[in-house]
Amino acid sequence: MPETNDAPITITAFESSPDKGQGLARDMRVRWALEEAGQPYAVRLVSFAEMKEPAHRALHPFGQIPTYEEGDLALFESGAIVLHIAERLAGLLPDDADARARAITWMFTALNTIEPPIVEREQAGYLERDKSWYDERLPLLEDRVLERLDDLSHRLGDGDWLDGTFSAGDLLMVTVLRRLEGAGIVEEYPNLAAYIARGEARPAYQRAFADQLAVFEASLKAETSNAD
Amino acid sequence: MPIDPEAPITITAFDWVPPFARGQVRDLRVRWALEEVGQPYAVRYLTRGEQKQDDHRARQPFGQVPTYEEGDLTLFESGAIVLHIADRWPGLLPDGPDARSRAAEWVFAALNTVEPDLSDMAMATIFERDESWSKPRIPAIRERIGEKLRELSDRLGDSPWLDGEFSAGDLMMISVLRMVEGDDAFLIEAHPNLLAYRTRGEERPAFRRALSDHMAGFTGKAPPEFAAWEEGEKA
Repeated sequence: MPETNDAPITITAFESSPDKGQGLARDMRVRWALEEAGQPYAVRLVSFAEMKEPAHRALHPFGQIPTYEEGDLALFESGAIVLHIAERLAGLLPDDADARARAITWMFTALNTIEPPIVEREQAGYLERDKSWYDERLPLLEDRVLERLDDLSHRLGDGDWLDGTFSAGDLLMVTVLRRLEGAGIVEEYPNLAAYIARGEARPAYQRAFADQLAVFEASLKAETSNAD
Repeated sequence: MPIDPEAPITITAFDWVPPFARGQVRDLRVRWALEEVGQPYAVRYLTRGEQKQDDHRARQPFGQVPTYEEGDLTLFESGAIVLHIADRWPGLLPDGPDARSRAAEWVFAALNTVEPDLSDMAMATIFERDESWSKPRIPAIRERIGEKLRELSDRLGDSPWLDGEFSAGDLMMISVLRMVEGDDAFLIEAHPNLLAYRTRGEERPAFRRALSDHMAGFTGKAPPEFAAWEEGEKA
């Protein structure tokens, strides 16, 4: 298990993740990438209050997680961190220069074309659920997600991965699509559902998932013992 | 002027968009990057609707612009294209170690942290303007934009650019900040350093050339349904 206290790489993650250990927080992407690359890393957990304090904002100007520190280098934005890892270590980008550029295109597609309508739909669920227009607006938000998934499903076809072998583009795409699991949306696309399952079956994914889940479970225990 | 029909690089752009979208369509970001590195490029213009047809979808699975073609390589996603250009030619990465990762960080921050709320605002005020929820949604979106701009302004401080020399990250951030306009202009005007930063970007000769070529490309005809939309706008 590459999570270790004295690794040269330190990432930050939620002390108590609002997703309750489902692996939807964005540290999951970075953990998974580091696992694929076989790179040990340390984790510093931060509370919601700490995230907005100057010490953390020096690492992340928008007061979010994850961050990545290695020697003098500090990075934020999960996409940039995964790209940095993929550029440095083997296993996440093809060797051929053009194929690399295409894999990076899929990273941006995941985060800029597919994720925004998914997050908007999700956000409406917790920011606007009590509004009178919520029920009327929801189908419109779902249509925007479906439009993207139609095109993505069409492009994936019967391929295992988006462009040849597994890459950082697939890694990000699978984490983005996982946000829809259980909503009855992505399940309508058998090839996308199988694609997500293929990603989740990777040993590196499973180690990363188990590690983030262990953090959440430990936070529950801490809460219980505090209550005693 | 680096537009050259014989150039080895071809990008795609629209030959017509509504006036409010001119100066915002994402081919501008790629044009700017190519101007910064001094690479000539050709433009293939798409008429309205052509972007959703099979020929273009082979280049861009989601039927959008821009795309980038060079020899056997076809790319889409403006962030990926700008980063590719920054990798190939000097002029878009900051000085010092890990330059590529530090530039990529701000490209992703522009597109994934700052832009989504601005796109949501465009959705509310343009595409959903006739819906009952359009106006009631605006204050909360505005608050989220305001928070991001405050955080960005704090980080920028009195530096000219986000991380040392001008980079692909600044190019993308300034492109995104250009969406803060009209009724929302006060949100950026509240941060003089951010406003000056955006102006600094827009005053670069490469940006000016890119913008002028982008605007000159809208030579196509408005589709019939736009006349009806425009009437609604006046009403």
